[in-house]
Amino acid sequence: MKIMSDNSEITFSNYGVYDLESDLEFFLPNTTIKFHRISDNAFSYFRKNYEGMIVEKIIPIKSNNLKIELAPIRPLNHPARRTSHMFLQFDKDIYLSENSAASIFVHCPIEIGIFLVHESTRDSLDWITCNSLNSRFGLYGSPDTGKLCKYAKVSLATDYTDSNSYLEGVMQIVVENTLSFGQSISKIVFQITDNALYYQDSKTIIDGIKITMKKRAAVNIADVKTTSLQTDWSMSPTWEDKIVSTHMEMGLE
Amino acid sequence: MVLEFLQGLSEMQLVGELTVLSLLIGGIIMAGGVIIAKIAKLLFHKYYAPSLPKDTAQNISKLIYFGILVISFLGFTSSQGIDLSGIMVAGGIFAVVIGFATQSVVSNLISGLFLIVEKPAKHGDTIELPDMGISGTLLDIGTFSSKVRKFDGTVTRIPNEKFFTSNIRSLTLSTVRRADVSVGISYESDIDGAILAIKNEIQQTMPFVLQIPEPEFRVEELGDSSVNIHVFVWHPRDDWSQAQPILLTTVKRALDKSGIEIPFPQRVIWTGKD
Repeated sequence: MKIMSDNSEITFSNYGVYDLESDLEFFLPNTTIKFHRISDNAFSYFRKNYEGMIVEKIIPIKSNNLKIELAPIRPLNHPARRTSHMFLQFDKDIYLSENSAASIFVHCPIEIGIFLVHESTRDSLDWITCNSLNSRFGLYGSPDTGKLCKYAKVSLATDYTDSNSYLEGVMQIVVENTLSFGQSISKIVFQITDNALYYQDSKTIIDGIKITMKKRAAVNIADVKTTSLQTDWSMSPTWEDKIVSTHMEMGLE
Repeated sequence: MVLEFLQGLSEMQLVGELTVLSLLIGGIIMAGGVIIAKIAKLLFHKYYAPSLPKDTAQNISKLIYFGILVISFLGFTSSQGIDLSGIMVAGGIFAVVIGFATQSVVSNLISGLFLIVEKPAKHGDTIELPDMGISGTLLDIGTFSSKVRKFDGTVTRIPNEKFFTSNIRSLTLSTVRRADVSVGISYESDIDGAILAIKNEIQQTMPFVLQIPEPEFRVEELGDSSVNIHVFVWHPRDDWSQAQPILLTTVKRALDKSGIEIPFPQRVIWTGKD
């Protein structure tokens, strides 16, 4: 992907696995990453963002070569890891009439992880967000019993190719309304640690979710479950604690 | 040689049927019990406690330690041929006497048990005891007293009775907390413009401030020299330091950037000639 900046053309780095033999540079929106060999057994890592914040690390290595993977990760780490839940607020409400179903695509924010590649595992070296202003928290529910979530106001996407490189992935949401009346959906809350991310070049797609609006006794609820994607895109590694959960329910408002 | 030595010890009677050998065996049982209790506590802390909530781990640790000590003590008494049923009867009388003498100690002990059962706060919680003017992190609810590490790093010991009967304000029980500041702008300034400027600055520079619920602004007072606006923001409970202490700075910066005046108190003085 290329953009014009300060009269010069910047080519942003694609996601993927890179061999690190001597020096290597990655250019991402608002961020520059540099690897530099400082000795036979060590590399240095340098990251600088547009605010001038610098992160430096030394990476001792056993073998002569080192592999690095640049991949999208779940948007849970900036400004700090506080939750496993995502709160997506749609810019437009989605209306579903009684006993109907719909499939939509939405943008979902992502972060970018830098991993050291071993034979079968990935070690997290660092992570960044290319859009820190859209990396905020929100509360679903009341202050005493609510659920703290990462919050983002998102727009609908046309399909899986409509991803905003380095900033947002695309997620499919299937909504089914089994209630006997129409219902508007303006937001969804779900545990995003159940959703895997996949990448190709600079694009990202995310495991989908299925929402079933149904009546349970006297209460109307939205039952939210994760649906796995079948794709030939590369699956992103992750290092977050995997919290096993079957599904999450939201109250209908 | 050793057998003869032990035989000699068993023949050395101290009081009644109590011999030096039985006392030695009792001592070994008690010492062994203490060592086993300490090792069991250590192993529990090393291998199991890290995966449990802090307060549960502390309680189980105490249960293991004192449980082994009690078993050791029972072993000690049976090795000495002591009949505990007699002690039980005598204990009833002594309990009344000791109860009066150690009223506060027993009160602290009972309060400690109630605190463990009721759990008004857990180990590691940030709490405030307004009656005592103490706020900090709860380190331990012990047998007779509790320990709170204040924000200046010092540790305060509070008798359980006082702790149990105090008002306890938990600062970590809710998922989120609210920070607030008050600021005055001049009467000539645009109130909506000031609120918008503050809102934008908070959005851009305070990543821990929640978007939902949104920052709230209330025109609090038409003061002597200024229109006073109260700003409320919510933040994750663990990130108080990223909200409250810097909120006023952020508000001031926003008003400075927008050229909105924060007025000084003004007084107009008329002299006699005027």
